[in-house]
Amino acid sequence: MVNLTIDGRAVQTKKGQTILEACDDLGIFVPRLCYHPALKPIGACRICVVEVKPGPPRPLPACATYVAEGQEVVTASPKLDVIRLELMKLVLINHALECPVCDKGGECELQDLTHAIGVPEVDLAAVKLPPNQDYESQLVERHPDRCVTCGRCIHICRDRVGAMAINFTLRGYFTELTSGAVPLDCEFCGSCIDICPVGALINKQFKYRSRAWEVTKTEMACPFCGGGCTYELHVKDGKVMRVFNGGDKVVLCGRGRFGWPVVEAPDRLKTPLIRQDGQLQEATWDEALDLVAAKFRQITEAAGLGAIYGVGSPRATNEANYLFQKFFRQGLGTNNLDNPGRYTYIRALQGLAAVFGPAQVSGVELDPSRPPAFTSPYPVTDDAKGKGFPFVLGKIDDLPKADVVLVVGADVTPELPPLGWALLEARERDAFKLIVANNRRTKFDRYADLSMRCQPGTERLLVAGIIKALLAAEVTPAIRASGVEEFKESLKKLTLKDVAKKTGVEEAAIKAAADLLAQALAPAIIFGAELLAQDKGQENALALADLFLLVGKPGAPGSALYPVAEKNNTRGVCEVGVLPDFGPGFAPVDKPGAALPEVLALLEKGDAAAPQSLYLLGGDLLRFAPNHKQVEKALKKVPFIVVQDAFLTETAKLAHVVLPVAVHAEQEGTFISSDGTLGYLPRALSANGVKPDCLIIHEIASRMGYSIPTGGPANIFKDLAKAMPLWAGLAPKGSEPRADFGKDLSGQLVPFDLDVSLPGRRPLTLLVGKSLQHSGSFTTHHPCGALTVTPRAELGMNPDDAQGLGLTEGDAAKVTSSQGEISVPITLNPDLPPGLVFLPEHFADPAANALTLNSNLVRVTISKG
Amino acid sequence: MKKSQKTIESILAGYPRHPQNLIGLLQDVQAEYNYISPEHLALICDHVGAPLTQAWSVATFYKSFSLEPRGEHEIKVCLGTTCHLKGGNRLVETCERDLGVARGQTTEDLRFTLDTVNCLGSCALAPVVMVDEDYLGGANIRSLKKRLSKLE
Ligand code: SF4
Ligand code: SF4
Ligand code: SF4
Ligand code: FES
Ligand code: FES
Repeated sequence: MVNLTIDGRAVQTKKGQTILEACDDLGIFVPRLCYHPALKPIGACRICVVEVKPGPPRPLPACATYVAEGQEVVTASPKLDVIRLELMKLVLINHALECPVCDKGGECELQDLTHAIGVPEVDLAAVKLPPNQDYESQLVERHPDRCVTCGRCIHICRDRVGAMAINFTLRGYFTELTSGAVPLDCEFCGSCIDICPVGALINKQFKYRSRAWEVTKTEMACPFCGGGCTYELHVKDGKVMRVFNGGDKVVLCGRGRFGWPVVEAPDRLKTPLIRQDGQLQEATWDEALDLVAAKFRQITEAAGLGAIYGVGSPRATNEANYLFQKFFRQGLGTNNLDNPGRYTYIRALQGLAAVFGPAQVSGVELDPSRPPAFTSPYPVTDDAKGKGFPFVLGKIDDLPKADVVLVVGADVTPELPPLGWALLEARERDAFKLIVANNRRTKFDRYADLSMRCQPGTERLLVAGIIKALLAAEVTPAIRASGVEEFKESLKKLTLKDVAKKTGVEEAAIKAAADLLAQALAPAIIFGAELLAQDKGQENALALADLFLLVGKPGAPGSALYPVAEKNNTRGVCEVGVLPDFGPGFAPVDKPGAALPEVLALLEKGDAAAPQSLYLLGGDLLRFAPNHKQVEKALKKVPFIVVQDAFLTETAKLAHVVLPVAVHAEQEGTFISSDGTLGYLPRALSANGVKPDCLIIHEIASRMGYSIPTGGPANIFKDLAKAMPLWAGLAPKGSEPRADFGKDLSGQLVPFDLDVSLPGRRPLTLLVGKSLQHSGSFTTHHPCGALTVTPRAELGMNPDDAQGLGLTEGDAAKVTSSQGEISVPITLNPDLPPGLVFLPEHFADPAANALTLNSNLVRVTISKG
Repeated sequence: MKKSQKTIESILAGYPRHPQNLIGLLQDVQAEYNYISPEHLALICDHVGAPLTQAWSVATFYKSFSLEPRGEHEIKVCLGTTCHLKGGNRLVETCERDLGVARGQTTEDLRFTLDTVNCLGSCALAPVVMVDEDYLGGANIRSLKKRLSKLE
């Protein structure tokens, strides 16, 4: 603590605080314009000046001066008043006072400050500057004539988002915010809009639609990726006006901030559909639900309870997914269910579980008193202990405390933007080192201390090389490790030279990576869905789990594994037990059911053991599962498919009954983000005729005579959380496993597959991956804002490859694999190495998975046309 | 104006790929081509790994960089305090009329660029006009016109 006096009052403040922060804590108002708590001090406006003794004879900016023992600070005096008034006049000298039409009116910090300081008039004259508005850019409108040159937007874009897309041009009085050349070419995250104190940056979605004070604000979890952001949803007259401010940090990504109009998409389903005479026809809810229940009963009576196969949803809430598995386990009495995470995230969990063991929690007891809504009934006590894979998963807030981060097989920002924000924060510490190992140049290569470019699909071998180098250096694991000898044996034949040859990464770089990891006090490993979607994704995860067992320091905050759970509830759908082999909280089940890929294979073969019916909670299998042809063939053989979705997806088009569901804030519920945070989604919009997933499942169950919990999401959560000691201590915005859990970690080094060959002989390798502006197919519906930035699928290609094929930007290319053929326009991208082409997975047309077999990598031939 | 001899590639090749070389490259390109074209700006950014906006910001911050083609001859009329008092303004107006170009601009035929500056550091000679590398001290309308006509 530091003792000082502020305005004659003796106070104590925290060490390392600025005078401004201290004043804010103490409730002493100091005017400010450029300071923002989400940023480091900028010190541009000087409106926050205070008098400080001892110190120089001139006033100092409170936002950039640190508290010191014995200091005497004066925050208000006639001298300071004069300075502030003069500064405000200078700020206002060329400010277009357009308050009546400016979107910021009512929440403008300049309005408030002009009022607080009491600027009577601006008695200064100056050359009028040209307004230079930018109406052209997408989503963001710029009014440089309203800019107070505080620099906040530039700092958030550079230091938090990492895009560096805007900066000042010219200088002094003529300083103007610019993107270099109109229009803006950036990540379109909109973070600069919300941090601007004035109306110089405007959200085009919000412009002229509402005044700031007319909206109802609801804080909610973002329903797009697994990042777990929370934001304010602003609603007027039952309509969304905008998404505002990602909490204290302000940053959000573009899909979070601009993606909400999917709620209003005209192609959303409004009524249930039933297949009649081969066509999907509109029906009433009762007709549709009665039909589903009757058919389900008929099928189970004829073919047994396991004849219905369920696929849960990484989009739907925990509550809906929990009810869904209850419907199968308690109602039908079968474990025949799974979720689409099978192709990505579940592989990570399996790899981690093989090394660190199953989830085990001890020492937590049910609290008999009633916990608040959406809060776990298990308090975390001193005896609480956790074992197994969930306890090596990291929290994003801790990532900046890691000192070495290895990124493997992940273009971080499109995969999970908050991981990228955390890496930028980590970089602010000098000791921090970043290692990036990808098959192409990505955003974070710019920030990497060691950037390795490996051949597509050889990431696992590269990890093996790093492990080999570590073993040669005889590192001693910080975690109790068994199986060391067998493991060493499995790598005996591997040489670094061989690894270097096959991966394309130099031996020296592999050794340097091993060195950095061996010396790290808190190493972390990030890997993406991109790495997990390879056919041997589970082996990839296994290799990284082994690596973490060797170098990890799980006692140090931030030292953890960070596999990307791509959608808002990819992690939750697994944890609440929509899995054939585990119930809620990863409790093993007696008679495991079949996994999704097996079921699709059985269906395709027309096997007698194949299910007679599929019940799909969202999840467009036809679009996202690899091997489109097989999936299509399989689905077409199912006698009865029920799909619950907001849109008529490719899969829904093959269904017999389609039930339209509520999305976004039309329903209440919770999600588990990629890092285990419980996101709470309150209901802020009316459902307009569609129903929340929970209600639909419940109605089908009760028509079939099953009793499963009801009474709304809060009640279902209560029932669910009782089955989840793993969630002990969990509450909205809190993260599991809780930090105060004792960890009892040990692991076994498990040998993994070293064969990284990619079958086929076609000349190019296609990678099907993520686009920054999209999340699944959810964001591909008009009028979604993110869709305006990336409206279609384009095939990224190295310029030299394109030239060799006689293709230029925008040309149509014919892409052929052993599985199929598509036509797609190309875009030149020098970040891709020669030989690698990239196609985003989100769009229905062209269907990327028409080319894939069992992996997101496939060999292709490309020609003009 | 010097004829451009060095290609952009050879200029780039002279600098390691590091953001700290941004200003050096901008200076070299400015010296060689008399201005920095959007294409060259993009190439420089690619080379040093700096975002385009940063290069733009630097290039517009310093007066010695120009993002637009400059004329063959550069005329800088001083409007610093001393020259201003000694009638610098009339000299600018003369140039504007004679060359048919506004201050800060370049003639369409790319022959002349007219600029004003805030003190050339030669106040004793005020009013001062700089024509290319030469100082014209104690300038008046007549001597200025004469000097300009020599250029044509
Ligand atoms: S929208 Fe995001 S990326 Fe674009 S300029 Fe603003 S902060 Fe930077
Ligand atoms: S645009 Fe807004 S945030 Fe950016 S410098 Fe101007 S006033 Fe500040
Ligand atoms: S999509 Fe992900 S990163 Fe973007 S705002 Fe939503 S949760 Fe955050
Ligand atoms: S708030 Fe301190 S200088 Fe702007
Ligand atoms: S004012 Fe013109 S040279 Fe100094």
